[in-house]
Amino acid sequence: MQLQPETQSKPAALPQKEVDALMQHLRDAFKDSPDYAKRALEELRDEISTLSDARMESAGRIGNRQGEVSELTIIAPLVKGGAERLRKLLKVLHGNFQAADKVGSVHDMRFVFIDNDTRLLFATAYDGDWDVYINDFATKIPNQLDVLFSVVEGWPGIHSPQVKDFIVKYQIAADAWYVSNPHMTVAQARRLEKIDTALAQFLDKIS
Amino acid sequence: MQTQQETQSKPTVLPQKEVDTMMQDLRELYKDAPDYIKRALEELRGGISEIPDTLMETAGRIGARQGVVSELTVIAPFAKGGAERLRKLLALTHGNFSATEKVGSVHDMRFVFLENDTKMLFATAYDGDWDDYLDDFVSKIPNELDVIFWNFEGWPGIHSPSIKDYIAQFQVAAEAWYVSNPRLSVPQAKRLEKIDKALNEFLDKIS
Repeated sequence: MQLQPETQSKPAALPQKEVDALMQHLRDAFKDSPDYAKRALEELRDEISTLSDARMESAGRIGNRQGEVSELTIIAPLVKGGAERLRKLLKVLHGNFQAADKVGSVHDMRFVFIDNDTRLLFATAYDGDWDVYINDFATKIPNQLDVLFSVVEGWPGIHSPQVKDFIVKYQIAADAWYVSNPHMTVAQARRLEKIDTALAQFLDKIS
Repeated sequence: MQTQQETQSKPTVLPQKEVDTMMQDLRELYKDAPDYIKRALEELRGGISEIPDTLMETAGRIGARQGVVSELTVIAPFAKGGAERLRKLLALTHGNFSATEKVGSVHDMRFVFLENDTKMLFATAYDGDWDDYLDDFVSKIPNELDVIFWNFEGWPGIHSPSIKDYIAQFQVAAEAWYVSNPRLSVPQAKRLEKIDKALNEFLDKIS
């Protein structure tokens, strides 16, 4: 079954002159690199000259977005014993974060302990705008958030008017952010999975 | 249009006795927490009693997986001048990671500079097994990797036999990992987007 003509897959290209200038800058930045890295750099010319269809833009107050999908990265200090408590909590829950389904805009989410369990790295991919995302969390799964983030030093509580400033204080914007399907929201992915099932049933029926 | 029977969305539930024990463990864990956190914890009972569709498992050598989607989180020290060079590279290429498409298994990927540009956080969501993922990167975009990762202390070069050990050394496994659509791989997402488009064209034609 041929599904569609690949019209959108042909990317726009930068003018050669601009690519020459870019390559020159890069050669300069990599002038002290070993030969294999210099050779690798030259091989990138074609790619550098293509423009991707989704470009990195701001996710709102802080963080980046590609298409519909934004990134949020937080590194925050843990209270004394916080890592131990969170680890036990996560163990009891078997990493069960079904509640995040209720938010409806979270693609993925990880909790990582770093620096000898003194800090928590929280990294997520979500749909849309920063403010909307935080509001959704606060209205849809406030209890989960309070329980999880009570191990972070100074957590003001999800209903505190300071909670957004608190998050911003520990958020670090990515310098680069890639998303394979930048136009696919969580809701769209769920919709498409349903269509796929329905279509398979339909094809079964008429076969 | 009713797209499917919602058979899989009804979660399996744990026996009440087991939930009681879990809640008791959690209360013990949170005995020193402020009252609003304790109340929040009690509210989680319903969610805790549901067994999710997929459980966190290992991604292979290191890292976590939910369904088909795995996480990789690396925090590595920059080589001298590496942060500055990488920043320039990312700025000059406008965060153009179109090459990553070639790998075909990367959902998302971020680069975050940490601790006054002395370290970098690289966090990604990808399909399948740790070893396969690295093999794919090495065989499909070796030049890109060398140009980026040469900026890190001790980078052995992508074709070095010690490359996997180098990465594993700086990887920190997540304690918890959530994926909204754990059965949706990158190629499956792309396929579904094509089906959606074809279906719309089809519906247009018969309307």
